Amino acid sequence: MWAVLHWTFWQRRWSTLWWCTGVSSFIILSLSFYASFRDQAVQLNEVLSRLPNAAHALISDTTDFLTPEGFLSARLFYLLLPLLLSILAIGLGSSLIAKEEDRGTLEVLLSRPVSRVKLLAGKALAGLIIVLAVSLVSLITAVVVCRLVKLEVAFDRIILATLLSTLLALVFGVIAFAVAAHGRARAASVGIATLFGIASYLISSLDEVVEVLRFPAKLLPYHYYRPGEVLVGNFNWRFVTILVSVIAVLILFSFLSFRQRDLND
Amino acid sequence: MAEAAITTYGLSKRYQKARHFALRDLELNIKPGEIYGFLGPNGAGKTTTIRLLMNFIVPTRGQARILGLDTLTQSVQVKDKVGYLAGEVELYPKMNGRQLLAYLSDLRPPPISGYVNVLCRRFKVELNQRISSLSRGNRQKLGIVQAFMNHPEVLILDEPTAGLDPLMQEEFFDLVRETKERGATIFLSSHNLTEVQKVCDRVGIIRAGRLIKEQDIGDIVASSVQVFNIAFAKPVPEAQLRTIAGLKLILNSQHHATIKVRGDLRPLFRVLAKHQVRALDRQESDLEEEFLKFYRGQS
Repeated sequence: MWAVLHWTFWQRRWSTLWWCTGVSSFIILSLSFYASFRDQAVQLNEVLSRLPNAAHALISDTTDFLTPEGFLSARLFYLLLPLLLSILAIGLGSSLIAKEEDRGTLEVLLSRPVSRVKLLAGKALAGLIIVLAVSLVSLITAVVVCRLVKLEVAFDRIILATLLSTLLALVFGVIAFAVAAHGRARAASVGIATLFGIASYLISSLDEVVEVLRFPAKLLPYHYYRPGEVLVGNFNWRFVTILVSVIAVLILFSFLSFRQRDLND
Repeated sequence: MAEAAITTYGLSKRYQKARHFALRDLELNIKPGEIYGFLGPNGAGKTTTIRLLMNFIVPTRGQARILGLDTLTQSVQVKDKVGYLAGEVELYPKMNGRQLLAYLSDLRPPPISGYVNVLCRRFKVELNQRISSLSRGNRQKLGIVQAFMNHPEVLILDEPTAGLDPLMQEEFFDLVRETKERGATIFLSSHNLTEVQKVCDRVGIIRAGRLIKEQDIGDIVASSVQVFNIAFAKPVPEAQLRTIAGLKLILNSQHHATIKVRGDLRPLFRVLAKHQVRALDRQESDLEEEFLKFYRGQS
């Protein structure tokens, strides 16, 4: 398992570095305008108040965009960070197994004395650590930029919001991983996870506005992602437990599916 | 009696959504130290058999054992003793040969240090070039090195000489013979009959998912048609030659004939001894025709 882990990192060392650079750049770009926003708060509030509720819901989970917490949620945690981390996680989830299977290199690995469970564990662990590494870099960048632009939000709340973003991204990544482990092609695993992610975001964002969406929203992971609340100090461990449970169930499903199925030719 | 190296009991495979079995009731019993050639046309079930032995796919029914270990439930232990070469060698395109072999050595450390380098030198493997830029033959050589580098007790090789030039093919056959000498068992699938003839002790012929014949290679050669091109100093002794049972005579000219004869060669040489033969050229024993009969279902 450790050899698989080690060599998966080695293969992805440059892409991980690029991801860290890219996500950090996005965060810097996104937050560095805070001073301008703060100086034009009155005018912006007027503009934002004219937006329909549905548009508000798609931008943020808080209506107060111009407090430090509201700004940070709207500009970073509600959409940008989970989106970027989800793209990374879905890409990893689909390629760690499916790319090897499509290319035929999975057989090379499985011709060695390594069990399927250990191979999958090595791959899953590698994916998890890469997502966590990019999340950690994102967290550090966010904290540093917040300090530089005087965006005063408590450090521990930024940590918890990043943790929640990471968990949400991992849910979508693990969906892709589970689909790939079940034997579907890479494109299918990316497609299913992305579709689920977009649907989850849209339905959960609009559930306050569209009543019929309230129940289905509860079945989707985005419903349990409330960065605005976390940043004002209302961290809900129940939501974390739900997201972690979904990840655990999907990983278990992946292992059971992959343990004894035909490898694609 | 030593335990068989590879045995299968009613091994069968029907793929999902397929109407027919790709492999049906395969019974194999391959002795330790034997080189077994598994012959058949494309789509006959050779690769399916190999993928079942390697536990890449799960049998629909039946069982396979390698060195007494169940390939399904003891797959990890099996792979500790097996070297494998796929029909289409697929390797990591962004790695170079050295990195690939290091990765595979981490998964299963070679028992003899330095042997990997010996194999690489022997096959002139390009170790520092990216795999994506290697030719098919060079990728195949890398595949051969990774299959043999652990001194496996059993080798499972799917079309192993595909893409190799004739010199490298000979080098490969030498390696196979040496590997047999140290006691390893080799299961080699091929549709190249000449290569099977060169190294195999026994062959199994598979057609449409069924093993239709197993025979020692010596018996096949002995019973196969052999072809001689003979130049006589005087006119071809046609009448005498035609008295030999099982002989087919083709007169190329007054002094030159092509003779096809099956089985015992003594009657032919008795006739030739009575005549002045200027030249005699024996064509390589043509197993192809023998096997084609099976392939076409004429057995």
